[in-house]
Amino acid sequence: MTTANRWTLLVGVAVSVLVGGGVSYLASSDPDGLEAVQEQLGVTPAHSGIAPPPTPFEGYRVKGLGDGFGSNAAAGVAGSLLVLGLVLGIGYVLRRGRARPATDPGATSHDP
Amino acid sequence: MHIPYNVLSPPVWATAAAVSGAALGASLVWARRGLDDRRIPLMGVMGAFIFAAQMVNFPILVIPGISGHLGGGFLLGVLLGTPLGIIVMASVLVIQACYGDGGVEALGANVFVMGILPCLLGGLTRRLWREPRVKWLAEGVSVVGGTATIVAGAAIVVLLLWCSGTIPGNISLDHALAAAMGVHLPIGIVEGVASAGIIRFILRVRPDAVWADSLPFRAGEASA
Repeated sequence: MTTANRWTLLVGVAVSVLVGGGVSYLASSDPDGLEAVQEQLGVTPAHSGIAPPPTPFEGYRVKGLGDGFGSNAAAGVAGSLLVLGLVLGIGYVLRRGRARPATDPGATSHDP
Repeated sequence: MHIPYNVLSPPVWATAAAVSGAALGASLVWARRGLDDRRIPLMGVMGAFIFAAQMVNFPILVIPGISGHLGGGFLLGVLLGTPLGIIVMASVLVIQACYGDGGVEALGANVFVMGILPCLLGGLTRRLWREPRVKWLAEGVSVVGGTATIVAGAAIVVLLLWCSGTIPGNISLDHALAAAMGVHLPIGIVEGVASAGIIRFILRVRPDAVWADSLPFRAGEASA
């Protein structure tokens, strides 16, 4: 991996951890635009029956850790890392589709 | 602005899922031609950042009691191009659905509203950023375009709710559309300004990662 890519990952993850794990604790708890509009229009959940799957991160809090800063921070950091892992996984699978003959383990260069 | 559980009717969410599934599939097939090494870490960190940024609800001062959050689809479309933007946004929305944010059955609709639509508009704006002589134009179009993605997205959500029959009968479609678009205008303006700023920053630090596709993709096309 090139130095630029390593820095991108490092800084990107640091910013995400700071925003998702820290700043998000200060987020407004007012309803967001869509929630407010649904409330205002009286949208009724008529098509009931679909239940959320069980999750340890309901409402961006870690189940069992309460409602405090730590719970929010852990859920935020975990979510960012889950997205990072999922996207990198997809990305590297897609890369191999083209570059298999050219990419040996440890190879860092690419065709110009 | 995630569509929650049980407000879309089965025909509506199934149609949205089919449309979004087809677009996501096409994006994956397109990307299978090959991804440059420099783009993959940028995709990953932009996804992680957008997940984090969407947790930060900011008060929209002009309408007290209502908050907004970043969408991020438009800036993904500019920085990664439409197909890769759709892939990243779909990934964010899948993880958010695991957090109970957005209904699982509404995932297709949410991918359309927050992924496909803004990534298409962002992708159209992408080539403007490539031409340094019209940088001011690219920035201006991005502010307007980012705003438009949120306002148009809100309108599409209302249409989906309308088709689902979950908006009460005594409320006219015009009124519902006006209410949704009015609330989302200030949120959209924040989206537009933030998008332009983030695009500028990423283009300053990693222009190679943003534009890495041009040569390899043309070569791939020629050999395919």
